[in-house]
Amino acid sequence: MKRLKTEILVIGGGATGTGIAWDAALRGFRVVLVEKRDLTHGTTGRYHGLLHSGGRYPVKDPDSARECIIENRILRRTHAHCIEDTSGFFVVTPEDADSDYPDRFKAACDEVGIPCREISVAEALRREPLLNPRINRVFEVPDGAADSFLATHATAQAARAAGAQVLTYHEVVDLIVQGGEGDQQVVGAKVLDVASGEDVEVHADLTITAAGAWAGQIAAMAGCEVKMTPGKGAMIAMNHRVCNTVLNRCKMPGDGDIIVPIHTVAVIGTTDEHVDDPENLRIEPWEVQLMLDEGEKMIPGISQARVVRAWAGVRPLYQETEAADTRDVTRSFTLLDHQERDGVAGFLTMTGGKWTTFRMMAAKAVDVACEKLGVQRSCKTASTPVPGVDQGHYWLGHRLHEVEEKRLQGELVCECELVTRAMLENAARQNPTLTLDDLRRDVRLGMGPCQGGFCTYRAVGILHEMAEGGDWRLENGERRMENGGWRVESNLHPPFSNPNLLLRDFLQERWKGLTPILWGRQLKQERLDELIYLSLMNVDHLPGAELSSPLSDFYLFDTTPGEETEASDA
Amino acid sequence: MLDLLVIGAGLAGLTAAYTAAKAGLRVCVIAKGMGTTHWSAGTVDVLGYYPNSSAEPVQRPLENVQTLIEAQPEHPYALLGTAQLSDALKAFAVLTGEISLPYAGAANGGENLLLPSPAGAPRPTFLAPLTQRAGDLSHPDPFLIVGFRGLGDFFPELIAANLCELGYDARAAFLPIDLITDRQDFNTVQLATELENRGRRSRLAAELKRLVQPGERIGLPAILGLDDHLAVLADLQAQVSASVFEIPTLPPSVPGIRLHKALCRRLEELGVRVEAGMEVVGFRSGGQARARFGSPQQVEGFVQSPIPNPKSEIRNPKSLLWVASETTARPLKHHAANFLLATGGILGGGFDSDYTGRVWETIFDLPLTTPQKRSEWFRPKFLDPAGHPVYRGGVRVNKQFQPVKADGAPVYENLWAAGGCLAQADPIHERSLEGIAITTSVAAAQQIVGSGWARGGRGSGSLR
Ligand SMILES: Cc1cc2nc3c(=O)[nH]c(=O)nc-3n(C[C@H](O)[C@H](O)[C@H](O)COP(=O)(O)OP(=O)(O)OC[C@H]3O[C@@H](n4cnc5c(N)ncnc54)[C@H](O)[C@@H]3O)c2cc1C
Ligand SMILES: Cc1cc2nc3c(=O)[nH]c(=O)nc-3n(C[C@H](O)[C@H](O)[C@H](O)COP(=O)(O)OP(=O)(O)OC[C@H]3O[C@@H](n4cnc5c(N)ncnc54)[C@H](O)[C@@H]3O)c2cc1C
Repeated sequence: MKRLKTEILVIGGGATGTGIAWDAALRGFRVVLVEKRDLTHGTTGRYHGLLHSGGRYPVKDPDSARECIIENRILRRTHAHCIEDTSGFFVVTPEDADSDYPDRFKAACDEVGIPCREISVAEALRREPLLNPRINRVFEVPDGAADSFLATHATAQAARAAGAQVLTYHEVVDLIVQGGEGDQQVVGAKVLDVASGEDVEVHADLTITAAGAWAGQIAAMAGCEVKMTPGKGAMIAMNHRVCNTVLNRCKMPGDGDIIVPIHTVAVIGTTDEHVDDPENLRIEPWEVQLMLDEGEKMIPGISQARVVRAWAGVRPLYQETEAADTRDVTRSFTLLDHQERDGVAGFLTMTGGKWTTFRMMAAKAVDVACEKLGVQRSCKTASTPVPGVDQGHYWLGHRLHEVEEKRLQGELVCECELVTRAMLENAARQNPTLTLDDLRRDVRLGMGPCQGGFCTYRAVGILHEMAEGGDWRLENGERRMENGGWRVESNLHPPFSNPNLLLRDFLQERWKGLTPILWGRQLKQERLDELIYLSLMNVDHLPGAELSSPLSDFYLFDTTPGEETEASDA
Repeated sequence: MLDLLVIGAGLAGLTAAYTAAKAGLRVCVIAKGMGTTHWSAGTVDVLGYYPNSSAEPVQRPLENVQTLIEAQPEHPYALLGTAQLSDALKAFAVLTGEISLPYAGAANGGENLLLPSPAGAPRPTFLAPLTQRAGDLSHPDPFLIVGFRGLGDFFPELIAANLCELGYDARAAFLPIDLITDRQDFNTVQLATELENRGRRSRLAAELKRLVQPGERIGLPAILGLDDHLAVLADLQAQVSASVFEIPTLPPSVPGIRLHKALCRRLEELGVRVEAGMEVVGFRSGGQARARFGSPQQVEGFVQSPIPNPKSEIRNPKSLLWVASETTARPLKHHAANFLLATGGILGGGFDSDYTGRVWETIFDLPLTTPQKRSEWFRPKFLDPAGHPVYRGGVRVNKQFQPVKADGAPVYENLWAAGGCLAQADPIHERSLEGIAITTSVAAAQQIVGSGWARGGRGSGSLR
């Protein structure tokens, strides 16, 4: 068994956890972060992509709205390259024309301090020509689109640079609790290194849970009850940027009332369904239908466009008393001091909130950590940019520009998302990689219209050359040719780097997120992918069929559309 | 007037057009795109695996097809029987000889060949073009798989590693891509054209000669020339003094494009026009007009267009009169005595579907066997050996290859169907894509020729 000793142990590698590790490391603490899968595996990698201006909450949840606009301004500096400055519209569609909400909305924005300007319908239509021409009013707010994958990686990189140790594929299986009744203390955690199967003990002066919707499960390991109300939301990505501005309906937040343009797609979302298990992410046909029907209200015709993918995330909603409807639970965050609350020292839980507020949440958590550890060190994250900000805000043509400028056309691994071989190799070198899905989160591999049709094979070929481009074949007693191979140092994990396993896992991973939305042209596309992998490659008859990775079972969840059902409470 | 209008320019449409034209019919082919030939390996797969079994490849497809037919009496092959199947494939092999793209099967006649796939798995196929045949895995010669640095669509080490794992003797090597091209941005088709240049070819040959060991055969990505590929192959083998073969690549597929082009050229010689970029958007039958897309006025236009032969309409209320295609400039009407639907299934674009679970045939809205519920379309595993039910559905035809209604009666007397649009097969899972395309289209074309509907049949009263 391996032992690690640290001052602060952070559990969870989403936005919040990496934010805490970054903040704490900047304040000079020794930090270890453990995440059971890859960074952003949780809700952070399954969210909607909105950098909130706060515009969704000023009427119902002004505190939350205030936090959003403060952080919106800060993140635009610290994480500039992860953010596209799309701006956002709140539009009054014919369905909502009779409501007094728009005026209340405008007043509340002014009150909270969210810059909000009413613009003419004509101007809105000029900027967003596909917008429903029958809208009545339009308000503009400083919404943005945010790439949570990139942002979390950049934050983790900054944390590492400041000395934090970030361990992915390390799952907390138990907390180490010392002392007796009323005088208990968490002194660390028992962790499973998922890749090697090795047990690891991390001893820490303070343990902070940032496990989002899983916070209850972690707290239970120390005998504390934290009642999470996981609210599942489904989203679907349209193949085109049907809009370049975030489009919200100007009404009380509800299902399917927002479209976020992010990278090459536009994402409609979301639903909000209470689920018991944060891992239950099943998307039902009615949810897909609802997204499309609601999307029509803002962009008529959107339901006829091609859908490339569907996914679902679970809101880490927390309330000390049980809420009837998950949308009524505050979107603000909560820090639980288990010493005060449950008599268990050395243990904090930070949960709730939003991606947009992760930095603020981290700052609050580490402030309390300082108190607990008896030191006074102030937060530095608001004024410390993470690596990459010098690129400025993200813009859509960014990758294309680079490919054209550097004449990298011949190097493309993924034409849909303009991923080059160098980007892929770099990601595989820098981040622990168990599956191609990990690289997908790093470089958007397989996220375009063909959903891995062309790039899966290419990525596998490249990783194989990286991992095994050496003297692996001595069949006729002869070593490889001098000019062969690309052998590059990598962060791949044998035996999971077996190319046939990587290939099968990723094909299944992409399939899983497709079946809920597979029809029309995307179905045709998927059939082409079958032609490539079955007819042409015969990958279902490659050696190594018995191999599996720690993720293989996860990719095998049945996501095929079930019988038509109704929303449970809609 | 045309005797036969073929809709679809994939392998099925082109083969049908050839068969009918050879029999003396006046034929034209119109298509929206090029069909799936451009994406496939360029081989003729007849039956690689029994449906539902991922295990061993089928050894003798023509004989083993009986087992398939017994298990699945509605499979398209069941409409043919072994003799007809075998004759159609022989006819196709003869045709490939005529077009200087000779295809042949295993040395042991009737057996499937096993050829290395671009992932290094053995692909079972029945007929392969000359350029791929030296890859035959039943021969013991060791493999040298050569890739090019900078060509991202071909991974020699992956191929060699998997072949080794499976017990074949193989190694890999790389050569620089600038041996072949100076371009930054290229695809396999451009590379193939470059190798038609003698100088580039000799440079490649010199490097290969340096790499190869006695007794080895050399596997290269399928880029050995486009139109002139036989000369390219012969020249390389002569210069290297070793046998050289092609392994198909990711699309665009050079072997597939060669086949498509050669078939089109042959059809041209026979006086058959192949017109791509013509999507059929409406049709007129004796009893019904229909148009997809377009404004109501356009639909009106179709309905009101003069009917060429009003008398025949009265005699044959259930026959098709014309289809209308949409080109960039204007809709065009195509009159013919017979129509053959060879638009493929979901992949070819012959079927479309939507989120309500509806799947429809895009031109005539023919009845389909496809489940009309999304909950019945898929299996949870992408690589499930049984395939996905949505792809098995299609157009049900009678023994004459006429699409039929639920009661078994033909939908239109002069409409026929062949290839990927036929029901009760999953050609990709079975590895029967080209086999079904070729054999059903030959059979359908023969039915049309024999039906009396062609060549004045309409006027002569020989209608059934
Ligand atoms: C549908 C939906 C849409 C949303 N859209 C937006 C939006 O547009 N804008 C916005 O600002 N916010 C949005 N949010 C909210 C936002 O996504 C979340 O608040 C935020 O991502 C939470 O981050 P987190 O780090 O707290 O949790 P997570 O990202 O869930 O991180 C928790 C991590 O803990 C890990 N973990 C769990 N158990 C263990 C264990 N035993 N050992 C180790 N690790 C463990 C998990 O794997 C996970 O990676 C949305 C939420 C949902 C559900
Ligand atoms: C900001 C942002 C932008 C994105 N842009 C794109 C894009 O341009 N293109 C693109 O393809 N994708 C995009 N995605 C989505 C991305 O590809 C992934 O779908 C997302 O990160 C979730 O990962 P996943 O698909 O592996 O999740 P998975 O959890 O594997 O989800 C896949 C499917 O499985 C279902 N599922 C998961 N767990 C269960 C379970 N236990 N039981 C039943 N069903 C389950 C889910 O509901 C979903 O239908 C984007 C995501 C984000 C956050």
